[in-house]
Amino acid sequence: MSAVPIADFSNDTIWITIVKAVVILVFLLLSVLFAIWFERRLVARFQQRSGPNWNGPFGLLQSLADAMKLLLKEDITVKAADKVIYLIAPIISVFCAFMVFAVIPFGPEVSIFGVVTPLQMTDFPVAVLYILGITALGVYGIVLGGWASGSTYPLLGAVRSTAQIISYELAMSLALVSVFLWSGSMSTSQIVGSQENTWWAFTLLPAFVLYVISMVGETNRLPFDLPEAEGELVGGFHTEYSSMKFAWFFLAEYINMLNVSAVATTLFLGGYRAPFGIGLINDGMFDTGWWGVVWFLAKLWLIMAFFVWVRGTLLRFRYDQFMNFGWKVLIPAGLVTVVFYAVLKGLSTGPDPVLSFGGEFLTLEWRQLLLGVVGGLVVIAVLMLLFPGEDEEKPAKAGASARGGAAKVGAGRSATTSGTKRPGTDKPGRKRATEEPFDAFAGGFPVPPLPGQELPPSPRRARVTTPAAAPAASPAAGAGEDEK
Amino acid sequence: MTNPFIPILVMAALALLMAIGGVAASAVIGPKRYNKVKVDAYECGIQPSPHAMGMGRFPIKYYLVAMTFIIFDIEVVFMYPWAVAFTELAMFGLIAMLGFLFLITVPFIYEWRRGGLDWD
Amino acid sequence: MFVAPHIEWAALSPVLILLGAAVIGVLVEAFVPRGSRRLVQVVVAALALGGALVAVTWRWTVVQQDGPSSLVAGALREDAPALLFQAILLILALLALLVIADRARGEDAFTPTASAIPGSEYEGQARRAGLAQTEVFPLTMFAVTGMLVFPAAADLLTMFIALEVLSLPLYLLAGMARRRRLVSQEASLKYFLLGAFSSAFFLMGLALLYGYAGSVHLADIATAVPLVSGMDGLLLAGSALVIIGLLFKVGAVPFHSWTPDVYQGAPTPITGFMAACTKVAAFAALLRFVYVVTPGLGWDLAPFLWIVAILTMVVGTVLAIVQTDMKRTLAYSSVAHAGFLLLGIIALDERGISGILVYLLAYGLATVGAFALVTLVRTKDAEGNLVGEAGHLSEWAGLGRRSPVLAVCFALFLLSFAGIPLTAGFTGKFAVFGAAVAGGDWPLVVIAVLASAAAAFFYVRIIVLMFFTEPATGEDGSATTVVRSEGLTAVAVVVCAVGTVLVGVVPTAVLAVAAQASKFLL
Repeated sequence: MSAVPIADFSNDTIWITIVKAVVILVFLLLSVLFAIWFERRLVARFQQRSGPNWNGPFGLLQSLADAMKLLLKEDITVKAADKVIYLIAPIISVFCAFMVFAVIPFGPEVSIFGVVTPLQMTDFPVAVLYILGITALGVYGIVLGGWASGSTYPLLGAVRSTAQIISYELAMSLALVSVFLWSGSMSTSQIVGSQENTWWAFTLLPAFVLYVISMVGETNRLPFDLPEAEGELVGGFHTEYSSMKFAWFFLAEYINMLNVSAVATTLFLGGYRAPFGIGLINDGMFDTGWWGVVWFLAKLWLIMAFFVWVRGTLLRFRYDQFMNFGWKVLIPAGLVTVVFYAVLKGLSTGPDPVLSFGGEFLTLEWRQLLLGVVGGLVVIAVLMLLFPGEDEEKPAKAGASARGGAAKVGAGRSATTSGTKRPGTDKPGRKRATEEPFDAFAGGFPVPPLPGQELPPSPRRARVTTPAAAPAASPAAGAGEDEK
Repeated sequence: MTNPFIPILVMAALALLMAIGGVAASAVIGPKRYNKVKVDAYECGIQPSPHAMGMGRFPIKYYLVAMTFIIFDIEVVFMYPWAVAFTELAMFGLIAMLGFLFLITVPFIYEWRRGGLDWD
Repeated sequence: MFVAPHIEWAALSPVLILLGAAVIGVLVEAFVPRGSRRLVQVVVAALALGGALVAVTWRWTVVQQDGPSSLVAGALREDAPALLFQAILLILALLALLVIADRARGEDAFTPTASAIPGSEYEGQARRAGLAQTEVFPLTMFAVTGMLVFPAAADLLTMFIALEVLSLPLYLLAGMARRRRLVSQEASLKYFLLGAFSSAFFLMGLALLYGYAGSVHLADIATAVPLVSGMDGLLLAGSALVIIGLLFKVGAVPFHSWTPDVYQGAPTPITGFMAACTKVAAFAALLRFVYVVTPGLGWDLAPFLWIVAILTMVVGTVLAIVQTDMKRTLAYSSVAHAGFLLLGIIALDERGISGILVYLLAYGLATVGAFALVTLVRTKDAEGNLVGEAGHLSEWAGLGRRSPVLAVCFALFLLSFAGIPLTAGFTGKFAVFGAAVAGGDWPLVVIAVLASAAAAFFYVRIIVLMFFTEPATGEDGSATTVVRSEGLTAVAVVVCAVGTVLVGVVPTAVLAVAAQASKFLL
């Protein structure tokens, strides 16, 4: 299996290319309109209501109506915005979102206007790397949009979004490395071509699961959509945008969903290949020509339905929960997957069972290597489980003052982990900042006492003891008690 | 069509045209009724805090996330060509890459234990 | 078709031992409980340096028998100069490690937590909780690994990687001083920025040389120099840029602006480590590059190198005379020494290599010893609490009366810097100046001797200050005191002093060994 693409573009003229580009753009726009309708209807069904059903048959024209409405709205530029970047950010987002579909194969070779051409705009030996790069560029749109809005909440929302996207991008890339290992190429048509016998979703099931989880995290969808949740930061990075600029952000998000679904289809679900059994009917009639588009779209919308299903079913993760999940679960899982599949591939296709590495000193057999790698992983896992957590690292007087200190920007390794690391197994023997009296205002703003801490007696208690003021003081004392 | 990147250029041109066209269209078509509160920053209805106070600052832990991401992203980038050329590099490549992964995993473990990956 | 290269594990053993120790150090940081972490780290580091020294000695015997060889498909060279430079590096690193690992009154020279904002309450909490930044040890091991590869690198890419591996831990280490945190952080940032710029220069030169010769291997570039014609601009610009990148590391004028600030701001044990070992490694790489690639360019590069050498010697000496801070004085004096060492580079003569070897050994011993002694001289305020190191020169007055041993050792190191006979410095200067004369650069030697005489002035001034001046007490009642450490610094100082005296009094053994390192493997 060579790394070069198997799709042959030698017959393409510039007109064919332009036709394909226009078709892809139209397809994407229509798909987004359809996806919005699809999501609203399906989520409504999950919630036992009917969704939009007023504009057009089955509510199909609802999203078109919404898009037209957005076009006709006033284009506001907020006063505090950085004008140039404020304008460019949504353009970057939507531009990068459109560009991914240029290398996605919709089908095998067909004849368009008499020219035999594959149903794909272009392909090169590093197509998936191009996709990953363009997706990473799209993150610029988010962070610049939030920063250029000139107010703190969009900036915070943008930064949180970005941090989440890049964390899950790592897990996604690791899952994709397994696919590159087994298909021997990064070209999309070659990867589809290598899935003749089995789809990679079955051979590389852990990688597929990893990819599906990280693709939900990458697109800021539930259960990972805290940066966009309504109650948290209003709209996140697109709070200050209106009309078409907002529409472009919205469009970019949905096209990103389509992008990752298309990548999942191409890399894991066999792309435009017909499912098993159907491909055998009539000497593979259903696996040629325009039929590929049918299978591709079916798989794409299957994954989109999965997105909507997950949105309708799962609860939202808290931000620190899903960052922990991304870094501490997905990335080690990804690394283990890559190592495992690399060794497996070496075992299955390695030419020599015994290869010398380093001349006289080191001669390794594949079996020994597998043993060594698995043994090493087991040792690491045992070490990590055996050694206690880092609670004793931070200074013992963590409780009050450090929580106040955490509010300050850049307080280094602020010590609030001493409480949150293992909330269930809070050791009662550890000193819990009971050495000095709890000072609620230590950090500059009032914080409530943690369990085990007590407030010092209120200074207003002194007023209660004067007998002359006792009848008048008791309502005052009562009020003081309430306010304490 | 010998150069496979020309279609990318075509697609880029069309996408850019559409993106800019849309924004221009709404700027032209949409109404323009100026109102002071429309151009103020939105802060759930209260008076917005002046931007000069914040000056584009955000908590430093996001910067740490980005730094950590860069390191592991470079590691993954090195894995791409190795994965594609795997059969040719055979055992030597596998052991070299495993050694590289080990040398990256050690600081990952250190960062994990020291709380660098916590409550990001 | 890919052919797997043959890896000579035995020849790489010094580097691998240190790299392994550094990785183990990081794992120790992750897993070992806080109380025993420091001891484990020091033991690992010391064992690694000792083991690497043994390995280098073993490789020396092998190379003496079998001759030099190239390793890892031509990326590294194992020849006599490389091994000797590595041996010097390991000896100096071991002595510097003793100073780094030492504690005075329970406190080491490093801040409890380097990532806290200076002046925040977290710092105080960390100090009271007894945190310690024991990552210093694996960082030092990484730096020494880079320094070991630097002299042996046979192609420019490996040289660049070694340069970065040795520099990045030093950028971090420079910012970890216990007192005067802001000065320390400024030093670290300055070092990092200027180091990044100089690495960029190096890379640009590398690119130009690749364009000239079609390869990054030093041997290929050397063979291309007489062959390829018509692209002399590329060759000259490339070589000049690479040399500039290396001159920065060495601290030559006009690329020396980081030296005084970094030496002053960094924790003093790290300053000693940096001043000694980085110079050794950088001069070794510079030597290999100039001697292998540019002999044919002697005419073209000579004006540039001459100007740099003269400027370095003169500026270093003149600016050192007007300094009032002890560490800054030593910093500028190290700039002057870099100038003297450049004479050996310019000589392009066989004796230049051995001369530089001996001078670096002498200079390194005296530097590590001098900075080790600087760590012990502290200021205490009116109540007797330790405030910090005695920075100002006037605070060193009268040390000879109160701590004669310390003052005598310090005087010995200063005399070695000055090049007084019967000290190692004299042997080194003699060797280097002899090489320069043999190479035909006698004007440089004249300037060097004059600069040495001028430098002797401020060295002797410090000696006079220590022995023949009354100790001064500051207006606020502060006085200078010498702290007792846990003893490791004393061991290091003793070894350095003995070494300085030995190399000065009986230099023949060292000179003979160095003379064997006269040829670079191409």
